[in-house]
Amino acid sequence: MSAAQRSAALRAHRGPVLLALPTIVFLLVLFAIPVARLMLLSVETGTLEPYEKALTDPLYLKVLLDTGKIALIVTVLCFMLGYPVAYFLTVAPRAWQVVGLFCLLMPFWTSILVRTYAWMVLLGRRGVVSETLLSLGIIDAPMTFLHSLPAVLVGMVHVLLPYLVFPVYAVMQRIDPNLMQAAHGLGAPGWRAFWRVYFPLTMPGVLSGASLVFILSMGFFITPVLLGGGRVMMIAVLIEQQVREFLNWEFAGALSATLLVFTLCVYAAFRRLMGADRQLV
Amino acid sequence: MSDDEGLVLTGASKHFGKVVALDRVDLAVRSGELLTILGPSGSGKTTLLRVVAGFERPDGGTVMLRGEDITWLAPAKRDIGMVFQNYALFPHMTVHGNVAFPLEMRRMKRAEILERVKWALNVVELDDYGERYPRQLSGGQQQRVALARAIVFNPRMLLLDEPFGALDRKLREQLQLEVKRLQRRLGLTALFVTHDQEEALVLSDRIAVMSAGRIAQLGEPQEIYARPASRFVADFIGESNLFEGEVCEAGGSFSVRCSATMTVHIGDVGAHPGERVSVLVRPERVKPLNGESDGARVAATAPPANTFAGTVSEVVYLGESEKLRITLEDGAEMLVRWHPEGRQRGARAGDALRVAFDAQDVHVIRGAA
Repeated sequence: MSAAQRSAALRAHRGPVLLALPTIVFLLVLFAIPVARLMLLSVETGTLEPYEKALTDPLYLKVLLDTGKIALIVTVLCFMLGYPVAYFLTVAPRAWQVVGLFCLLMPFWTSILVRTYAWMVLLGRRGVVSETLLSLGIIDAPMTFLHSLPAVLVGMVHVLLPYLVFPVYAVMQRIDPNLMQAAHGLGAPGWRAFWRVYFPLTMPGVLSGASLVFILSMGFFITPVLLGGGRVMMIAVLIEQQVREFLNWEFAGALSATLLVFTLCVYAAFRRLMGADRQLV
Repeated sequence: MSDDEGLVLTGASKHFGKVVALDRVDLAVRSGELLTILGPSGSGKTTLLRVVAGFERPDGGTVMLRGEDITWLAPAKRDIGMVFQNYALFPHMTVHGNVAFPLEMRRMKRAEILERVKWALNVVELDDYGERYPRQLSGGQQQRVALARAIVFNPRMLLLDEPFGALDRKLREQLQLEVKRLQRRLGLTALFVTHDQEEALVLSDRIAVMSAGRIAQLGEPQEIYARPASRFVADFIGESNLFEGEVCEAGGSFSVRCSATMTVHIGDVGAHPGERVSVLVRPERVKPLNGESDGARVAATAPPANTFAGTVSEVVYLGESEKLRITLEDGAEMLVRWHPEGRQRGARAGDALRVAFDAQDVHVIRGAA
C-alpha cells in the first residue's frame, strides 16, 4: 500500500474508533480491570489451591451443576411460555399487540429488586396465593411458597421471559406469510405446516433468545437469594457468600473464573448451533 | 369434454366489510384449458384465485372441481398446485426438499418421492439443482422450482398468481412460453391471474376480463382483442382509438357521427339510427397516407373508407414500428401504428398527415360502457 492509501485507510477507521473509545474505556476501567484483578487474586497465593477446591470438591461441583440445571429449566420454561406469546404478538390485531407489548415491557423496565420483593409478598405466608388457596379450601392453614426452588424458578422466569420473547418475535415478524399458505396449499394441514415450515424458520430467534436466557440465568443472584432463602444455592450466591462471610477472595476469584469459562463455553456452543442456521433468510 | 372435469364457479361472492370483491361470479374452466383472469388492481382477480385455492371462504356461491364441491374444503385437501409471485419457496430446505414437500405430506414412499422429484426437476430443466438452496438461485430458477413443486404431485389443477411479475422482460417471455408448453404437455387445467394484457394474450386459451368483482367479458384472445364487448375491455386490452357518437343511416350505409367534423363509416352491424355507440379502431389498422397514390387507392375501396386529416403531435420509436399520436381537426386524438418500410422516412412531430382506415376495421360497441 502506498503512503496515500495507508493514510486513507487510517482516516476511514478513525471515525468508528473514536466513537467506540468512550465505551471501550468505560468497560475497561469499570469492568474488565476489576474482573481481571479478581481473577488475579485467585492466584495470588502462588498456588492453584483455590481452583483445586472449586473444581474437585464435590460440594462446590454440585453447586456448579445445580446452577446449570436451574439455568436449563428456566430456559425451557421461558421457551414454553414465551414462544406462544411471541406468536400472539405477531398475529394479533393491532390493539392486542399494543397491550401485549405493554405487558411485556412494563415489568422489563421495573427494577429486578422491586419485582423480586413483589414475588415475596405474593408467595409469602400471608400472600395472595396462600390466601386464595385457603379460601378455596385447598389448604387448611396459611403456607409459604418461598424459600424453595419453584419460587426461584417463578421469579427467574418472570424476569427473563422478555429476553426470549423479543428475539423470537423479531424473527417471526420477518417470516413471509405466503410460506405458510404455500405449505397449506401443498397439502400440509395446520400442525404439519407449523412443524415443518414455521418452527424451523423461527429457530435462529429461539436459539438467540435461549442463549441469552441461559447465560443470564447462570449468573443470577438476587432472585435465588431472596426467593430461595438459602435453600437454593447458585454459584453467584456462593461467590457472594465467600466474599462477604468468609472474606475468601482467592476462592471467590477461582469460582468466578470457573463460571466465566463455563459461560464462554456455553456461548461458543450456541454460536456453533446458530452458525448452522444463520444462513437462513 | 364434460364440465365435470374442470373448475366451475357458480355465483361466487365475497365482500370485505363494505367492499364487494366478488359479485356473483360464474366461471367454468374446461379441463386441460389455460384460462387467464385479467384485470386491473382491485378488480377481484386475486380474491377469485384465493377462493378457488381455499384461502378465502366465499360469502355465497359454490366452487366445484372435477364434479366435487370444494367450497368449504381446507386448502390442504384440495390437491391444487399454486405458484406465487414471490415464489414462496421454503428457504430452509434445498430445491429437492421443496419439491419433495407435497409428496411427503401425502406420505409417499421414499423411492417414489425420489423418482417424482427427479421427473419434476427434469420437466423444468433444473435436473442438477437438487442440492442448492433457494437463495443460491436466480429469480427465474426459483420460479421454475416453484413450478416443479406445484406439479410434482399431479394436481387436479394449477393456479398461478402473477408468477412473472418480479422478473425482467426477456425472462418473463421465456417463462411464459415454458409454462404454456408445460401446461399443454401435462394436460393440466390452469387458472392464471395477471394484470398484464400482453401476457394474457400470449398464454391463454380463453381470457376472462374482470372489473369491480364481475367478469366483463369471457372469450378467446382473438375475440377479446378484435371484438371487445365494452369500452372498459376495449381500453384495457391493447391500445385503442375510441370515439362515441350517434348512428346515422344514408342509403344503406351506416356511419357514426362523433362530432361536427368527425364521422366514422361503419359496416352493417345491426345498429339502429339514433343509437349511441362507441367505435373502436386499433392503431395498427389506421394507415398514414403518403401522397396521391395512396389517396387514390383508398378512395377506390368500398364501402367508403374513413379518411381524416390531422397533425402529428408525438412520435414514439419502438424499433420494429412507430407509434404516432395525431391531433385531428376537432381536437380528438388518434393513435397510429405503422412500419416505415426500408429507408422510408418516418414521421416527425408537426407534420401534417392524412390517415385512413376501412369501415370493416371498425368495431362497434353498443350499449352502456
